[in-house]
Amino acid sequence: MAIKISDETLWKRLREGDELAFSTLFERYFRSLVNYGNSLMAYSDKVQDCVQDVFVDIWIYRNSLQESVVVKAYLIASLRRRAFRMVERDHIFNKATSDEKLDFLIDFSIEDQLIHEEFTAIKVKRLNELLNQLPSRQKEAIYLRYHQGLNIEQIAETMDINYQSANNLIYRGLQQIRSAWPEDFALVLLMISEYL
Amino acid sequence: MQKKYQTIDDFLSDSSFKEWVYSGKENEQWDEWISRNGNLVELLEQAKLYLMAMKVNEPLITENEVNEALSHTWEKIYQKENVWYFGIIKYYNQHKALSKIAALLLFGLSLVWIYNRHNTHESTLAYEDLIEKQDDGLIEEANNTTKPQLVILSDGSSVLLQPNSKLSYPKFFDKNERNVFLQGEAFFEISKNPQRPFYVYSNEVVTKVVGTSFRIKAYKDQPEVDVVVRTGKVQVSSNKDLTSAFKTVVLLPNQSIRFQRKSLMFDQVETIVQTNPQGNTEVIESINFEFVDAPVSQIFESLQKAYLIHIDYPEEKLKDCYLTTSLSDQPLAEKLKIICESLGSNTRYEMNGNQVSIFSTGCN
Repeated sequence: MAIKISDETLWKRLREGDELAFSTLFERYFRSLVNYGNSLMAYSDKVQDCVQDVFVDIWIYRNSLQESVVVKAYLIASLRRRAFRMVERDHIFNKATSDEKLDFLIDFSIEDQLIHEEFTAIKVKRLNELLNQLPSRQKEAIYLRYHQGLNIEQIAETMDINYQSANNLIYRGLQQIRSAWPEDFALVLLMISEYL
Repeated sequence: MQKKYQTIDDFLSDSSFKEWVYSGKENEQWDEWISRNGNLVELLEQAKLYLMAMKVNEPLITENEVNEALSHTWEKIYQKENVWYFGIIKYYNQHKALSKIAALLLFGLSLVWIYNRHNTHESTLAYEDLIEKQDDGLIEEANNTTKPQLVILSDGSSVLLQPNSKLSYPKFFDKNERNVFLQGEAFFEISKNPQRPFYVYSNEVVTKVVGTSFRIKAYKDQPEVDVVVRTGKVQVSSNKDLTSAFKTVVLLPNQSIRFQRKSLMFDQVETIVQTNPQGNTEVIESINFEFVDAPVSQIFESLQKAYLIHIDYPEEKLKDCYLTTSLSDQPLAEKLKIICESLGSNTRYEMNGNQVSIFSTGCN
């Protein structure tokens, strides 16, 4: 019957120097941060390092942390900035001047367990292909929105772009899929829904 | 559920929608929503397809790995904080004039500190002092025998009190916290309850936990207090009443810390490689409570050895019963409960002092 202490309370205690609050937040978000980190960097030991360093800085600079933040969004944004710096550092000698240094590496996969009909399977497979063909930044924005549950403002902050650009990334991504989505699927869907 | 779903984004960003789809189960609320919003069913079905096509494979990270990463993070923090400290020393060495001022300041501060220490006549806290402050009646258990003695607390936690040790505890615990007082040595297994933290007061040290197992050594005539953690997480502090330099340390499994009573300081956190260096097989920490397909007789044998209790059970009826179970992180009462539940509905236990009786008609 454990009642979860809210992020806000833990954050407040952490700023006051409570080690237990720090550890609790670490345990709460470590997994999802490693997961996001894996989507940005190919080497898992570097990901672990990055995530740990995010927390190290939070503790060391706890006195100057902002008072009210959405903890998860703050962690995700810090992790991305750190990963970006790390990748940039590794590339500095290679003179890689691509403006998208940080690629989103994860491919979406298919939730097999929920699919019971062959027809659905075909549609989901096609949709999955379309999603994975999206440009890296659009994919990342969609991941942050629907997997990590961030809002547009937080995504903008994380990806270091303005609100409108973040909104566009998601909107365009979905739009692109819709236009590639064969019309007949929509028709069939209508028919199916009549049988229900 | 939110009020309005107009775009696919409204569905995909809604946690209750995701929960419903991922659970694969019927849900009355959503059935009702569908019957009221026929025109939006198409959109809803599309959103479902998106969820199915957007799975992210998450690597499995075990609790142990999280704990390890956390330990590692604390190490990094300590290192970084120390580097800062040396950085300051270096700075003052480079600025000679400043360093003289700093030295004077330090000298002055130490005088103040010595003066203050002189004025606080009590620099140690003993068991008697701690008990005295408690106004309500405590039960005291003193072990004057040569063997560990089992104490069961009202919340189901178990304490193995070592020889020449005393434990004071209330008959029933407070609503918000559980406080006990120890002199000497004991091994604690605390029943989990995050809303009601458990505090052990031993000499100058306060140990706070929510549910875990650990050993404390706090003898009256010894210069240190030791806390050793077996499972879970423990917060160790110096008693607030005592020191102005109040300090808190978090210990993770297989870590230990020593508190110097004279200087009121903690030593470095240490990791224990071997839980039982003395090779003493009678110590509870050395007994393995991870059972794989083990006969119940063997499980009862381990419990008897660990807690120095006697277990009566129908040997004939239970001779073909095997269990696979993990009992490491549980107090005795919880261990017995888990065993009885695993054996089936017609098994139960009763406990009377050191005597445990198992009643059973056999296992499923």
